This record gives sequence, structure tokens and C-alpha cells, in this order.
Amino acid sequence: MKLMTCPINGSRPISEFFYGGELRSMPDPNMVTDEVWADYVFHRNNAPGIKCEWWCHIPSNSWFIAERNTLTDEIIHTYLWGEVV
Amino acid sequence: MIRRISPNHDRLQSLNGTWRDINGMPSLVSIPGDDRIVANLGIADLSFLTRFGVKGAGAVAWLESQKLEVPDRANTWKPLPDGGIIARLGLTEFLIEDSLHSSFALRLAEACQSVPAKVYPVLRQDAAIVLCGKAIQDLLRQTCSVNFQALSLAEHPVILTLMVGVSVTIIPILPDRYRIWCDGTFGAYLWETLLTIAQELGGGVVGVDRLI
Repeated sequence: MKLMTCPINGSRPISEFFYGGELRSMPDPNMVTDEVWADYVFHRNNAPGIKCEWWCHIPSNSWFIAERNTLTDEIIHTYLWGEVV
Repeated sequence: MIRRISPNHDRLQSLNGTWRDINGMPSLVSIPGDDRIVANLGIADLSFLTRFGVKGAGAVAWLESQKLEVPDRANTWKPLPDGGIIARLGLTEFLIEDSLHSSFALRLAEACQSVPAKVYPVLRQDAAIVLCGKAIQDLLRQTCSVNFQALSLAEHPVILTLMVGVSVTIIPILPDRYRIWCDGTFGAYLWETLLTIAQELGGGVVGVDRLI
């Protein structure tokens, strides 16, 4: 069974989680060009490697950040948004 | 008093038991022969208990201003005076459930008509279940991924997990008594699935008079 550690609820089977996308900083749509905004909305960097991602523990609706190697699917670290790693 | 109906009401109606209104909800209080089941593996519906939910960054301060002692760690619970519980679900959400002899939930519901900023009432229309008996772990092993036997009950843990695919909150009150809450819309499915497994393990439905 593949496990993931929720920063609040502890180690749980991966079936208790869902993926919320890569953690990316959003540009201010009022300050950037249409090209930059469109790039943010439509383009993703799918190159394998270590990524910071949003994940959610479904039963508690707890959102947190997971640092994951998308090449090996190894979960390196999980922490709450705003926590210092 | 507002008329309430348990999410498990339809599943219980076919049983040949004794009913009584508790907190405005028809409740199955006894079933012939449930005294033989209760020690092995019993399942009972406690949806009639009154409960209240609140969340938000200001929830702790607001509950303390209401003279409630709040659990200081995430996913733990404390008993209320006169019975009942207050459970901390994650960091800033709370479930308060009364016993038959307390009325915190009703008092808080009235008080939250006017609440400070960052305090948000949560509607709790849960299906509330209690499991009892020595075969609880056999049922849990078939329905849930959490190893409850590794928990220290002295630390008053609150477990938020999936049980037969349903998001549930579980509190092991005693080694032979576990409380389970889930969204009321999943109540009938959860009840029926747990009951089917309980019956395979030699258990069944018990009336609340056996437990409270």
C-alpha cells in the first residue's frame, strides 16, 4: 500500500488523498501581458523532477504541500502552506 | 421542538424494536435479544444527540469565551461536563456533541447568531453511530486502513479517515466503544455496510438503552 503523510492527520493510504496541481505563483492578471497570463493559465511544465504540489487529505479536507519526485513518485516531504521547510 | 429524522431511520424501521422520541427524533431504544449481542459486536444509531460545529481562526477564542475547555492539540477530544464531547478536527474546526444530560450544542447554536470575525458555524446533520463489543477490531480491519490498536486511548485521539469509502470521524472512547460520524447523506450506506459485516461477525443492531 502506498502511503502519504498528511501534516495534520499522519500517515495514510494514498487513496485518502487527491492531487491539486503543481504549486505555482500566480502573476497579477492586471499587471502582466496577455501572453504571460495565458502562459500561466494554459501551460504546464511536465518535465519529470522534484516538484512542489498541492495535495488534499479528503476526509479532513486538509490542503498541504508535498515535495515529490515525479520521475520516481517518491514523496520527499509534506508540510502545511506557510510552514518553513 | 423541531422534528428530526435520523439518516438511518429507514434502515431501522423494519426491526421489531421499541421506539422513543429523543431530542425530537424517533429513536430505536431496544430490540428483543440485543442484550446477547452487545458484548460481542453491537451497532447503534446515536443521530438523535444534539451537536454543533464551528470552524475558523477565531473558533478557539470564541469557544473559550463560551466557557468551554477546548482540546489544545489537533485531532484530539475532551469530555464535556455532564457528558458529551468536544472534538478538535484538524487545526481550527470543532465538533461539539451533547450527552442526554447536557445542552451545550443548543446554547452554542443560539450564541452563534452573532459571532465575531473568523468564526463560522458548521451545520452538523451527521449520521452518528456507536460500535460496541469485543469484536470491534475485527470489523474495523475489514472497513478501514487505520490501525486503531496502535493508538493510545489515553491521548484522546480523533481519527479522520475513510471507512468503506466514506469520509468519517472516529473516536475510540473505550477499547470496546467507538463513535463514528459521517455526513448524513452517506449514513444509510455506511450503516448497512457496517451492519452486514457486524452480522457476519455474530453481531447486530442494539437499542440505545443498552448503551446510554
